[in-house]
Amino acid sequence: MFIFDTLSLVFVALILFGAIPNIFYSTGYLPHIQRKTHYQLHYFAFIFSMIGVVVSANALVFLFFWELMSLTSWQLILTEAKEKSTIEAARFYFIMTHFGFVFLLLFFLIITDGNLDIDFASMKLIASHFAYPTLLFFFLLLGFLSKAGAVPLHVWLPYAHPAAPSPVSALMSGVMLKVAIYGMFRFLFDVLYPWPLEWGITILTLGALSSLIGVLYALSEHDIKALLANHSIENIGIILIGFGMGMIFDTLGLYTLSTFAFIAALFHTFNHMSFKSLLFMSAGAVLHQTHTKNMEKYGGLIKVMPITALAFLIAAISISALPPSNGFLSEWMIFQSMLSSSHIDNISLKLAIPFAIFALAMTGGLAIACFVKAYGITFLGLHRSTNAKHAHEVNFWMKSGMVLMAFVVLSLMLFTPFYIEWFDKVLVGLGRNSVYGQIFPNGIWNMHSVGINGGIVSPLILFISLLGVTALMMFAYKVFGVKTRVHNAWACGYKTSAKTQYTATGFAGPIRRFFNWLYKPDEHFEKQTIAGHETKFSSSSYEVHVKPLFEKVFYRSVAKAVNFMSYWVYRLAHFEQTRYSAMIFNIMLIVLFSYRVFSNEFSWATFVLEFIVMMISVKILIIGDRK
Amino acid sequence: MILYLLSIVLLVLLAPILLSYIKATKMVLLFKRPISIFQGYRNFAKLMHKETIISKETSAITSYAPFLVLSPLIVTMFFLPPIVVGSYYVSFVDAFTITGLISLSTFFLMLLGLDSASAFGGMGSSREAFISALVEPAMVLTIFSVSLMAGNLGVGQAGVNLAEHFPKEHMASFLFAGISFFILLIAENGRIPVDNPETHLELTMVHEAMILDLTGVYLAIIESAASIKFIIFASLFASLFMPFGLEFSAPIAILIFIVKLFIIATAVALLEVNTAKLRLFKIPNLLGLAIVFAFLSLITFYVLGA
Repeated sequence: MFIFDTLSLVFVALILFGAIPNIFYSTGYLPHIQRKTHYQLHYFAFIFSMIGVVVSANALVFLFFWELMSLTSWQLILTEAKEKSTIEAARFYFIMTHFGFVFLLLFFLIITDGNLDIDFASMKLIASHFAYPTLLFFFLLLGFLSKAGAVPLHVWLPYAHPAAPSPVSALMSGVMLKVAIYGMFRFLFDVLYPWPLEWGITILTLGALSSLIGVLYALSEHDIKALLANHSIENIGIILIGFGMGMIFDTLGLYTLSTFAFIAALFHTFNHMSFKSLLFMSAGAVLHQTHTKNMEKYGGLIKVMPITALAFLIAAISISALPPSNGFLSEWMIFQSMLSSSHIDNISLKLAIPFAIFALAMTGGLAIACFVKAYGITFLGLHRSTNAKHAHEVNFWMKSGMVLMAFVVLSLMLFTPFYIEWFDKVLVGLGRNSVYGQIFPNGIWNMHSVGINGGIVSPLILFISLLGVTALMMFAYKVFGVKTRVHNAWACGYKTSAKTQYTATGFAGPIRRFFNWLYKPDEHFEKQTIAGHETKFSSSSYEVHVKPLFEKVFYRSVAKAVNFMSYWVYRLAHFEQTRYSAMIFNIMLIVLFSYRVFSNEFSWATFVLEFIVMMISVKILIIGDRK
Repeated sequence: MILYLLSIVLLVLLAPILLSYIKATKMVLLFKRPISIFQGYRNFAKLMHKETIISKETSAITSYAPFLVLSPLIVTMFFLPPIVVGSYYVSFVDAFTITGLISLSTFFLMLLGLDSASAFGGMGSSREAFISALVEPAMVLTIFSVSLMAGNLGVGQAGVNLAEHFPKEHMASFLFAGISFFILLIAENGRIPVDNPETHLELTMVHEAMILDLTGVYLAIIESAASIKFIIFASLFASLFMPFGLEFSAPIAILIFIVKLFIIATAVALLEVNTAKLRLFKIPNLLGLAIVFAFLSLITFYVLGA
């Protein structure tokens, strides 16, 4: 019923690392919540069900905990259902998560032959006899990626994560998405093992698309929690790039590189858990104090909330993949595994992978821009609203949650070799050869890429040298005893005020303008000009809203089509009895006419004749006169 | 080891001279009386004697960020390819780490711009974020292509390998990578088609706008960071794309290396005199060109092997 192999245990560790600091934080957040029992009950059931998913050993238990996880998180989003948008977000989440569940159920019904309590080994046997393994792969992809939030199934994240209470958003974004990654590891390795090349390429493409699209929409976002939710899409994309590279290398027989790429994906899974939880926690602390999610209403919070600001800074450096942070190390590994693509013989594949490298590098650059925006607008400068002015540091429990999570981030950075050894054991448990000895061949100081002539990075040396050089310079500055004077900022003779600062919208302006073709922004610009002068105005307002392209194409248009069809179904359901009999008559005609086709006596002349007869009959008997 | 440390000290000392040299060359070409090439040092000394004025609106970031802007660049100096055969060098650090360290420095510079609550700082940061986001992919692809030709992902080792076996058979892709890297050199250091380092017009400022509020020692630190960044890029260009002259004895090899740096500086100065600054929204075209050349270089290498 339950399985405790290395893969499961590592993911249990991931959930505990994510959940324990979160429990502290949630304790501090509790006075803010009205329905306390409802919240506590679902909160702990949620954590419990996630652990249940990763240790379950058969389909029935897996699906039970999976559904429990979806339902509890759905209820948690509804904890503070004061606004209509929250209810809509929860409904959207509910539909998306069950959309995925349907495919998981189909997947399990096929690979278990209807007997839901057999173990993974027997599932593998059944799956290997199934005629269409790619169908199974796509069921798996739709099931897990709708939970993980990869393009094009990512649309619910920017709605659902901001609507939930902050500890829950941290848990959902930091931990729950990773449970879906667990599912990918478990079922692709244990059930669907020999992978065709196309599967890996599919995952790599989805990953590259997700990472770029996630970060681009994050840049245009003003709602701080929606911004972070979009970054989850980006990071899931990065994890999938690593995963896809692993699958491609495995199919091509480059097993060492494949294991390396999978370790990179697992490492990034851990890193994303740590820094995304921390980011959501500190964003939640800001939200708790200022009562708004709008970034344009923050500003200068570093002066009143120093610990929150420091926590956000650590996480921001890590998520932007800047050295020597843990986010940098895992992205470095993913880059190295892609750079090893020069060992591939298939020339078209070899030419395609630089595009994925391009996507990942671009993502890195844009993520830096986005987090400079998030940090700079939220914490630096002057207070942009009275709420921000009256903010102060959050209570002890919330602070301790953030500090604990910051320690998790730092531990992933400082004890990288230790974690890599774990991940290596996971892959060994899944039937691979150990590559730990190749990644850290001589001691823990240097981390090697396993490719031929690969790169090397030394996380600890980088960290120590950066710290050392900075400390030395600051020491010298102190010793010199430079005189310091505090004065107004120079602003061309005007006074600086909250309104002279750059806004988040303005900061992302150049990038928004460059990606205009993607964003298709909805701009509103109004100004009250004075006496017809173009340049003199008493007041002006500028608003810009980015239209989510994927939502429009894949969701709104589908909704429209369904609406249209349901209209006709509605018409059908409200027909008169005479029309029903007319329809039965027409169906009989179709059956009679199509008999000729099946008995191979087809001729175009009779077909046309019968078609005309059908049309006339449908027109007169069913549609009738338009009123 | 002594040669290694000596070369780093030499490069750091050379950094302000190189920037003053570019400025002096430009002034000569514009029929102005040129500044001394030691002007960089004079400015530094002047700024070191001044008191630091911190604006009221700033936070702790302003008092830490200047050091954090400089320190990643100083760490990067230790990872550059050797300038003499036989000198010690850190062979293994790869391009992605170096790009990351430079981004770390830019990250804190951008925060510094936003800290003072003035519109200039925000404007500079916003533009810098835009430019550096587009530089990153071109940078990674270019160095990937060069390291394929050199047969090693470590930048130091790549420099040595290129000096030993110049990839004559891969000349085409080598040239494409060189063009791409030169564009990046200009973009990352804020030289003329991308940013004007001498401007006093707020509409055209990028780097200067971010540091408008700094004075005294902080400004000195940021200015030296800018010059060190230029020397990092120039010496990467010299080691990776002009890989010759390393095998002579130490003084001559160092001299050749310095000459190479001055050639690059002259090229930059000539480019600055002959082109106008691009509009901000035209810059992606230039950087797109760098990305295209990087891809071309990789594709020629893979498909034609040339």
